[in-house]
Amino acid sequence: MLLDATGLVGGYASAEHIVKGVTLRADAGELVTVIGPNGAGKSTALKLVSGLLRPAEGQVRIAGEDLAGRSPQALARAGLGFVPQERNVFASLSVAENLEMGCLFEPRDAKARAAEAFRRFPILAEKRRALAGSLSGGQRQILAVAMALMGRPKALLLDEPTAGLSPAAAHELFAYIRGIAQDGLAILMVEQNALEALDRSDRAYVLVDGRNHLDGTASAVAGDPDIRRLFLGGRQSKPAHSKGEP
Amino acid sequence: MEIVLQALANGIVSGSLLAVPALGFSAIFAVLRYPNFAIGSLATVGAYAAWSANTAFGAPVLVAIGAGAAVAGLTGIALEAVALDRLGRGGPLMKAIGSLAAAMILENVVRFGFGNDLHAFDLPLARDVMVGPVRVGPQQLAGLAVALAVMAAVWAFLSLTSLGRSMRAVADNPDLARLKGVSPRLVSLVTVFVGAALCGIGGTLVGLDASLDPLVGGRILLSVFAAAVVGGLDSIPGAVAGAFLIGIAEEFTVLALAPAYRLAVSFAVIFLVLSFRPAGILGRAAR
Repeated sequence: MLLDATGLVGGYASAEHIVKGVTLRADAGELVTVIGPNGAGKSTALKLVSGLLRPAEGQVRIAGEDLAGRSPQALARAGLGFVPQERNVFASLSVAENLEMGCLFEPRDAKARAAEAFRRFPILAEKRRALAGSLSGGQRQILAVAMALMGRPKALLLDEPTAGLSPAAAHELFAYIRGIAQDGLAILMVEQNALEALDRSDRAYVLVDGRNHLDGTASAVAGDPDIRRLFLGGRQSKPAHSKGEP
Repeated sequence: MEIVLQALANGIVSGSLLAVPALGFSAIFAVLRYPNFAIGSLATVGAYAAWSANTAFGAPVLVAIGAGAAVAGLTGIALEAVALDRLGRGGPLMKAIGSLAAAMILENVVRFGFGNDLHAFDLPLARDVMVGPVRVGPQQLAGLAVALAVMAAVWAFLSLTSLGRSMRAVADNPDLARLKGVSPRLVSLVTVFVGAALCGIGGTLVGLDASLDPLVGGRILLSVFAAAVVGGLDSIPGAVAGAFLIGIAEEFTVLALAPAYRLAVSFAVIFLVLSFRPAGILGRAAR
């Protein structure tokens, strides 16, 4: 398993642990969605994996190397990318400068990587000189993902990448994310838009009250009657998109 | 009309001299999130180091300015590492108070070492230059040129180097910068060195324009602070804009009032600007 976070316990300093025992795994080429009610500890779990918060217990392995408790810089250098839900771009830097920040610790072929990002995301090429703070919500999310990809990570954590986006922009971003996973990345994605996220994903975890509640293939989780009632509003997940074709 | 043009020219020159330490103050505030009131004393330390290099070792003025920048930068790092960094655990207010204490200590160390007498750089005498109806001293012109060159160098450093971009990234979003592999410790130290070195250059330019005494930096502290606040505390371009605004406002004050009222006008400008733009001319809203 490329990304293997096992038995995580932790939270914010001076507060009760929000995450009380969570295991999240994603293999190369796999898109794994994490869903759960508000306050389940989904975003906190991602922060524990990324190193922004130090786990009180548990292991975080990337390609077999245990990195739990290491700094975010160390985890980034080991191949972990993280796109937080909010404030995930440098608003006062241009789009091009944001992309350069994405491969700071490996700047040798930064220009080639930026050209690749501009090819993959043409809207960023159009706005390359614009300040990131002037972009629309959808464009910012695309920039945040593109910046994370600049470091050529082995594994990517996405915290609610479609939050605040229009349905059309969310749909487009999900397609991008699916495409990135197909390139061989292990992607762990926390998402409120559970229906479409599960539709695009290979596997899924359901967290409740800081613990694993359920996991399995995305279609099995989407088909679970309790999960449909609790998180999907009772709607039936329809396989509208082939996972292989974003 | 000639008087007005002369005041404008003087304001541009003094604004450029204020802009250099104001850049240093704003850079430190933007990255380390506390107002470092030791900048005046760091300017004094830099000015005396430059004066020593010039008069004791015969260093040309530009080399002396470099020596002043280096000594002020290293003093700033020592101050941060020995005292201010530890005070940071108590929050930005504790660091600000600590920097005030450090300012007093540094000023008196300089006084102990060099005395209270006025000192002047070893410079050739030269006539003032007439630009139309405006009279400008050769040291003022040289100071303006050096200040503009330093501002251009700071811009190039922040825009074109990865270390400069990292500084701006940490100032913008420290958590995201850590996720991108930026070392906050390294960036903080570089920022303190650059900020203190800019103060050293500013103090040296003021000393070159007039003379040196242990209060040379302390006298400009409040004007530099006013410039940074007016421009927007965490904005590098704002610091430059604020410095020129304060410099010109102070010079125009002298047309109508006694020079003692200069600072009062600086702070009146703060009230005026912040009333309409609470974050300063180019600053971002408080986070």
